[in-house]
Amino acid sequence: MAEDLVLDTAIRDWVLIPLSVVMVLIGVLRYFVSKLMRSSQNPDAKLVKEGQVIVRARNLRAAANFIPPKSFRARRFYYSNEENGLLFVPKGQAQNAQAQMFSDPNMAMDMMKKNLSMIIPQTLTFAWVNFFFSGFVAAKIPFPLTQRFRGMLQNGIDLSTVDVSYVSSRSWYFLNLFGLRGLFSLILGEENATDDTQRMMQMTGFGFDPSKSLGAEKDGLDIVQHDWTMPKFERRAESVLRKLVR
Amino acid sequence: MVTKSEEDQLNRLESQVDNGGGGEWEYLCLVRKLKVRRPDKVLKHGLAILNDFKKRSALGTEDWTLCEQVAIAAMDCQCLDVAKDCIKVLRKRFPDSKRVGRLEGMLLEAKGLWAEAEKAYSSFLEDNPFDQVIHKRRVAVAKAQGNISTAIECLNKYLDTFMADNDAWRELAEIYVSLQMYKQAAFCYEELILSQPTNPLYHIAYADVLYTNGGIENLQAAKKYYASAINLTGGKNQRALFGVCLCTSAIGQLSKGRNKDDKESPELQALAVAALEKDYKQGAPDKLPLLTSTLKSLRVSS
Repeated sequence: MAEDLVLDTAIRDWVLIPLSVVMVLIGVLRYFVSKLMRSSQNPDAKLVKEGQVIVRARNLRAAANFIPPKSFRARRFYYSNEENGLLFVPKGQAQNAQAQMFSDPNMAMDMMKKNLSMIIPQTLTFAWVNFFFSGFVAAKIPFPLTQRFRGMLQNGIDLSTVDVSYVSSRSWYFLNLFGLRGLFSLILGEENATDDTQRMMQMTGFGFDPSKSLGAEKDGLDIVQHDWTMPKFERRAESVLRKLVR
Repeated sequence: MVTKSEEDQLNRLESQVDNGGGGEWEYLCLVRKLKVRRPDKVLKHGLAILNDFKKRSALGTEDWTLCEQVAIAAMDCQCLDVAKDCIKVLRKRFPDSKRVGRLEGMLLEAKGLWAEAEKAYSSFLEDNPFDQVIHKRRVAVAKAQGNISTAIECLNKYLDTFMADNDAWRELAEIYVSLQMYKQAAFCYEELILSQPTNPLYHIAYADVLYTNGGIENLQAAKKYYASAINLTGGKNQRALFGVCLCTSAIGQLSKGRNKDDKESPELQALAVAALEKDYKQGAPDKLPLLTSTLKSLRVSS
């Protein structure tokens, strides 16, 4: 059923390796271009404060058992009381955050720049691959696949009897797209603009929505049961000293 | 917080450098990383590197960072002309830099020209209201002028926005303690404990404040925090041990005649005393009689 096609080594030399090299170079180029184009962000007062409030509230939740019950209750009230608690966000404001983000011109420009720097090279490379490297079998995937993948992986190959494991260069392009992320973080350091997959994931869960995280912190804080660990520590200190003195 | 291994490394490098064994650049980098304050050594060795053309060119672009470090150390040692030279060089190289502007502000502070320094810092803050370091410099100016209430006000406003900054909370706590506003100081130390619950120093400081504040509830809480410090340091911290003894005797004094609820930790004081005696026997045997008589007087009154 599966005839073994013998693939010319010239394919490896002139298709697979150049394609990978080109993608790496394009990635490096994009990294430097994005560094040049990055405008310094002036942090918004409210955002900074909210970020810090969240850190503080999170600390309170994590270490609540280390402070006396009265202080804990006072702090909890300070954070979540109805009129002017730090974490309390009236319902009306919660909706506006997203609309605000779209209408804020600076942020929209930034987003557009980031999007462009991602979409354009991808589109161009994809078109280039399709133009130059289509219509032949480029590689063989080592594991067998079902017929459903045929449309995705064998775009230029119009023979329906060829085994689905034999793919075209388009699939090699996609493989590189997702696989070179690790390589980029090695050669460019942690923060690099070529992290497309991360950015794509970020875009689906849209942006920093502070009101939601504030609400989440408030709920978390309301749930916390205060159990003062200090009395336990007294007993433990006794045993520590007993061992020391012996 | 500096870890033990880093402290050892710093001491080793310091002794190496002092005895002329080389490794000055490493030492200076470590000082910069750990943010410790060694102005005399930094000044001496940093200037040696900067003035030696060969060594300086070996650093490449890092020599500007060294220049900044030496400028700050010079201001600490009151060698203002050295500082002025360094800052002039930096300003020529980086004409529009806020970092150099900050150094110039610090030089004004070092000269004692408070009003000019305050003006410079306010103009920086207008450009960028989120520059944390400039905010802190303003607090330092107010504190150096002796204007503690302004310092507290500035610090509170700073903490209103940047409430996750531990160093600021520590500074505020120390200022409150110096003004004997113990309840506010206790609040600050609680914040510090919340952010780093396993750091025994904060527990001890908090317990100190509670003990000083007085009142039976505070004393009992203080005892608990001294105990937790003992727990966290494995019984090696003498301040916590002393604290436990003092707290127990103070509680005993206050609740004389009333039902003492020693059921929580009856042996804690006796154990603390034993641990202290053991430590003194090992560390300072000639002071041991002094210790025993003090502790006996504490125990008698409880």
